[in-house]
Amino acid sequence: MSNTSLEAVVDPDRVQGWIDAIGSDASAAVPLLQAIQTAYGYLPRKAMNLVVERTRINASQLFGVATFYAQFRLKPVGRHMIKVCHGTACHVQGADRLNTSLRHALGITDAELDTAANGSYTVENVACIGCCSLAPVMLIDGQAFPNLKGADAQRHLHKHAREHNEILALQESAD
Amino acid sequence: MSTEQWIITVGEGTCGIAAGAPEITDLLKKRFPEATFQSVGCVGMCHREVMVEITDPAGKKFLWGNLTKKNLPKVVQFHRGTGDLPAALLIRSSDDPNAEGGKYLAMQTRIALRNVGQLNPTSLEQYRARGGYAAIGKILRSGMTPEAVIEEVKTAKIRGRGGAGFPTATKWGFARNAPGEVKYLICNGDEGDPGAFMDRSLLEGDPHSVLEGMLIAAYAIGASKGYAYIRAEYPLAVEYFGKAIADARAAGLLGHGILGTSFDFDVRIKEGAGAFVCGEETALMASIEGERGMPRIRPPFPAIKGLFGKPTIINNVETLANLPWIIDNGGAAYAAIGTPGSSGTKVFALAGAVARGGLVEVPMGVTIRHVIEGVGGGSASNRPLKAVQLGGPSGGCIPERLFDTPIEYEAINATGAIMGSGGMVVTDSKSCMVDLARYFLEFTQNESCGKCTFCRIGTLRMKEILTRICDGEGTMADIETLEELAPRIKTATLCGLGQTAPNPVLTTLKYFRDEYIAHVQEKRCPGGVCKGLITHTIQNDKCTGCSICQRYCPVNAIAGTLKQPDSWVIDQKICINCGMCVEVCNPDAILAA
Repeated sequence: MSNTSLEAVVDPDRVQGWIDAIGSDASAAVPLLQAIQTAYGYLPRKAMNLVVERTRINASQLFGVATFYAQFRLKPVGRHMIKVCHGTACHVQGADRLNTSLRHALGITDAELDTAANGSYTVENVACIGCCSLAPVMLIDGQAFPNLKGADAQRHLHKHAREHNEILALQESAD
Repeated sequence: MSTEQWIITVGEGTCGIAAGAPEITDLLKKRFPEATFQSVGCVGMCHREVMVEITDPAGKKFLWGNLTKKNLPKVVQFHRGTGDLPAALLIRSSDDPNAEGGKYLAMQTRIALRNVGQLNPTSLEQYRARGGYAAIGKILRSGMTPEAVIEEVKTAKIRGRGGAGFPTATKWGFARNAPGEVKYLICNGDEGDPGAFMDRSLLEGDPHSVLEGMLIAAYAIGASKGYAYIRAEYPLAVEYFGKAIADARAAGLLGHGILGTSFDFDVRIKEGAGAFVCGEETALMASIEGERGMPRIRPPFPAIKGLFGKPTIINNVETLANLPWIIDNGGAAYAAIGTPGSSGTKVFALAGAVARGGLVEVPMGVTIRHVIEGVGGGSASNRPLKAVQLGGPSGGCIPERLFDTPIEYEAINATGAIMGSGGMVVTDSKSCMVDLARYFLEFTQNESCGKCTFCRIGTLRMKEILTRICDGEGTMADIETLEELAPRIKTATLCGLGQTAPNPVLTTLKYFRDEYIAHVQEKRCPGGVCKGLITHTIQNDKCTGCSICQRYCPVNAIAGTLKQPDSWVIDQKICINCGMCVEVCNPDAILAA
């Protein structure tokens, strides 16, 4: 199943509102992209084009910035966002297993993908979020879950899915 | 002292919130409706979160830790006189100030962290009540010249806490003397080192100290505009620092004519967007200007030609937080702490395999062992400690046998690691140093901006070689190639990222060469970490046949009959060695070797 259904509907007035509030010169590029991403969860192409049309920021700068910083993504996201911390403390205490476990529960097998086919959850790796004494840590929609084992991550995901009426992928059979 | 009422203080930094502080606060509000509640930043004992200090009407203080929904009733019952003291949850009390928690703090010297965990970070009044903004007041009211401020900081001999350790006063002098009407001061809060959270704790636990430090620095160099560049991954820090700026402005401590003098200074927050290289000064400035965060050639140095082409000083958060203390107490008092070459204190973010992790501030010159075994309480498991990683991706691993090295710039550099910004991740015998080196190279490779060839491609080649060794496909020639590449990457790159990228490899090769050789020649990972070199097997004599491993195996590699321990096996052809089964197995029956 493609992710077309996850594409955001961009409202030009909202984009104009951010330009009015933040500015339209070169140094506004990063804050503008941050505003767009906060609203849509990613950078929809249409919103980017609007910024290029209506500000003094040219396309090469805007796309250059969007592809340089780890915070920005050009692909749509699922309805809920899971961020798995991969700081040093989390790495040495098994952050990889959180990914394995979450992706398994969501049925994400293609290494290139990070979103469940039904559009429920996106699993992203993030740089250190600075809670190193609680490692390993993940965030679901901004809420942190500390001191996790792989199995705990799955348990929290199942609980979250129940509370938000999301259906998790069925586990694959042995063969 | 009798307060005649209940005062409940909850640690609500990012760690506290992550551990569940808001939920505990809600429950306590129901149990103590008559109490006054107060929220403070992280006191630094992250290993004991959620932490709550309860002052009873008699004035007795009890600091509780590791609170959960489940054990909270025990604390409530104790305070209501219907239960015994739950000793395991008590960190310290007025009756027993030297309990475990007291010791953790008593072994530290807190200057930069002097207010963190002691006040409500969103309250300007509380900061002022603890002597805040007295330093900038003293400077402005007594007519202290900028040169005199620089001189005082020179006497303190403080060196930049961001990692490189350049003397702060010297750097200021360059910008002070640079011609130009407009000058900028930037607070570098782009704490990108994985495993470091000192700046986060300061910005969200005591934002006014950092802001006052910015005022002092701006006055010294003659800057009228400032930026606080803070990582977007720290939303609470951005929120609290924003509030501090607004409150200070309303109180006449920022803006035009500060404290009725002719000194003007104002600050704007710029949120970083997730690029490690932006911790580098010239890349950070490019980022504020709206560009890709790529470093520029120096000279010209930022102090002469920086942000928007103007003289600019970039100071680290921790450096700034020290400044008010230095002005209040004098540079000589600061220089009296620490060693002649490395004065004052240093904050570390202690994490990993230690019993007590968290924020630690110690005088320079104490040993690494003092921090790890004294403050940190040694190994969290029964396993022996193996090494400490200092300085993140730019730093290196120091082996346990060198833990008596004093914490000072030159001594740390001599080991091949660096002081860095303060990340201190401890590893024990169940870690793999080759894997750790691979982890950091993957990180720097990812974060390389791509400008310099040796950084862009050199780190990729190093990462490929390390991955090969971790997979058991490395050769002895690979180790030589690593050693050949490292000095070239160090010398042929523009900024600190590339120049220090090989450090994790070089230090692990220097101190843990035997682990590399075990991977290459014996196809064995001594730490039991590298997936390509371990196999998972069920020890049937320990197995109970509960089937929990089967349920959590992501690839369905485990099969057996319920309650028949002898029937359980892992199909090695399917197993991906992820280790999930080891984590869930109660009787510890799965062997990874």
